[in-house]
Amino acid sequence: MIELRQVGLKYGEREILKNVSLCIKDNTIKAILGPSGVGKSTILKLMLGLIKPNKGQVIVDGTDITNMNETSLYAIRRKMGMVFQGNALFDSMTISQNLGFFLRENMRLPEEEISRRVAEQIQFAGLEGYEEQLPENLSGGMRRRVAIGRAMIFKPHMILFDEPTAGLDPVSSKKILSLISSLRKNNNLGAVIVTHIIDDVFNVADSVAVLYQGEIIFDDVTEKLHEANHPFIRSILSDNILEL
Amino acid sequence: MKTQRSPSGIIAFTRTLQEKLILDMKVFFFTMQEFFWFSIRAFVAIPKAKQYWRDVLDQAKICGADSLPIVLVSAVSIGALLAIEVGNLLEDFGAKTMLGRSTALSVIRELGPLLMGLMLSARFGSRNGAELGAMQISEQIDALRAFGTDPIAKLVTPRLLAALIMFLPLTAFSDFAGLQSAAYMAEHYHRLDPGIFWNAVYPRLVAKDFVVGFLKAPVFAIIITLVSSFNGFSARGGTSGVGRSTIKGIVVSSGLVLIANFYVSKIVLENM
Repeated sequence: MIELRQVGLKYGEREILKNVSLCIKDNTIKAILGPSGVGKSTILKLMLGLIKPNKGQVIVDGTDITNMNETSLYAIRRKMGMVFQGNALFDSMTISQNLGFFLRENMRLPEEEISRRVAEQIQFAGLEGYEEQLPENLSGGMRRRVAIGRAMIFKPHMILFDEPTAGLDPVSSKKILSLISSLRKNNNLGAVIVTHIIDDVFNVADSVAVLYQGEIIFDDVTEKLHEANHPFIRSILSDNILEL
Repeated sequence: MKTQRSPSGIIAFTRTLQEKLILDMKVFFFTMQEFFWFSIRAFVAIPKAKQYWRDVLDQAKICGADSLPIVLVSAVSIGALLAIEVGNLLEDFGAKTMLGRSTALSVIRELGPLLMGLMLSARFGSRNGAELGAMQISEQIDALRAFGTDPIAKLVTPRLLAALIMFLPLTAFSDFAGLQSAAYMAEHYHRLDPGIFWNAVYPRLVAKDFVVGFLKAPVFAIIITLVSSFNGFSARGGTSGVGRSTIKGIVVSSGLVLIANFYVSKIVLENM
């Protein structure tokens, strides 16, 4: 379970997050919805301890990681996988090297076990035959699936997705969303999805938090989003995609 | 026509300037603090380097073997020019036989290591800045941290070790090439017998001359690697941000190489 308690964050004079509180339970899919540049990706980085809040607490599985040092954070981070918006694949490595990289780096596993896990993720992502390709030779959707496979390589209990369908064509988006749904069904994984596309929320999320001007203005099950009265939520429900 | 400022306008202007200066100072000291911890972490991670020995070898090839041609070209060019100019000057005093000694001291103590440092700052430093900057803006460095790998141990320490290992032989090659080209010019331009040239070089060189020259290699290795890598890690704002951080890395490391060159010479020559 990941919890943000009264988190505030400033960049210089600019207040990015104001008293943000969120709770993401295991084996659930939570979407964080909001316009571009509002601090959604920042929330994911706070959850991983990649940045530290100016105030409030970040709790992962009961452990307060707010002021934890980098070395202690590594163990916490392995409980979560992260799919970055631009995928953040290593462009000089092949797909199988990308998938196996962190296993070789951080776990003392025999090479057969690493190969087995890599093959498992290749199969899960539907990328058989592309193992020796460089990321630049794959389509955007395929690269995203490699990034999802890499996020699952440590067998985490939670995966954090930063704009998982942004920049993808409708067919690739659908594939990615069904992949995310299958993670919970088949692997009992929870997920946090940061998005500005409202369709993604209704397609996969159990609950949704809406971030607007640095504050959470709605946090409930997805179905109740239609009942919200906030003018911003009413406007996004009518426009479908947030480009504010 | 000159515009006149009212006293209140001047006060407001001074206050704005003062605020800007304070802000710039704060940013400067904050950056220095960040750089200090970044450097400490790069050194502390040295014991982990055996895990990254392949990266050390790759970087050693980039900053060593791949940089050798440009180091040699600059050394040959400066050695030849130095022999021509110093030879002309010495000829006026009838002391052309001292050409070997003066060029050897200049090349071994100062110009060999300095030119190597500047060339590597441009070649190795720019590569580090651009590569790490691109990794930073494409979130690859965040990905390393997110998946439990220390990016400084993985990306900076191997570069630092490779530079520490390779800058010494590069200095030796630079000195050798500089002296050879100076000897060639002494013989063919100034018509000086090679025996006279080399006789003024070898017996006169003392340990101090080599200490001054070769002590600069590790100092430059540390400056160039850490400054360029730090700037790469600090890249923000897309591709133009990578360009800015790369340029900043080269300019700052080149400036620091020049300053360090002066102080290493001064300290060693005063104390040996």
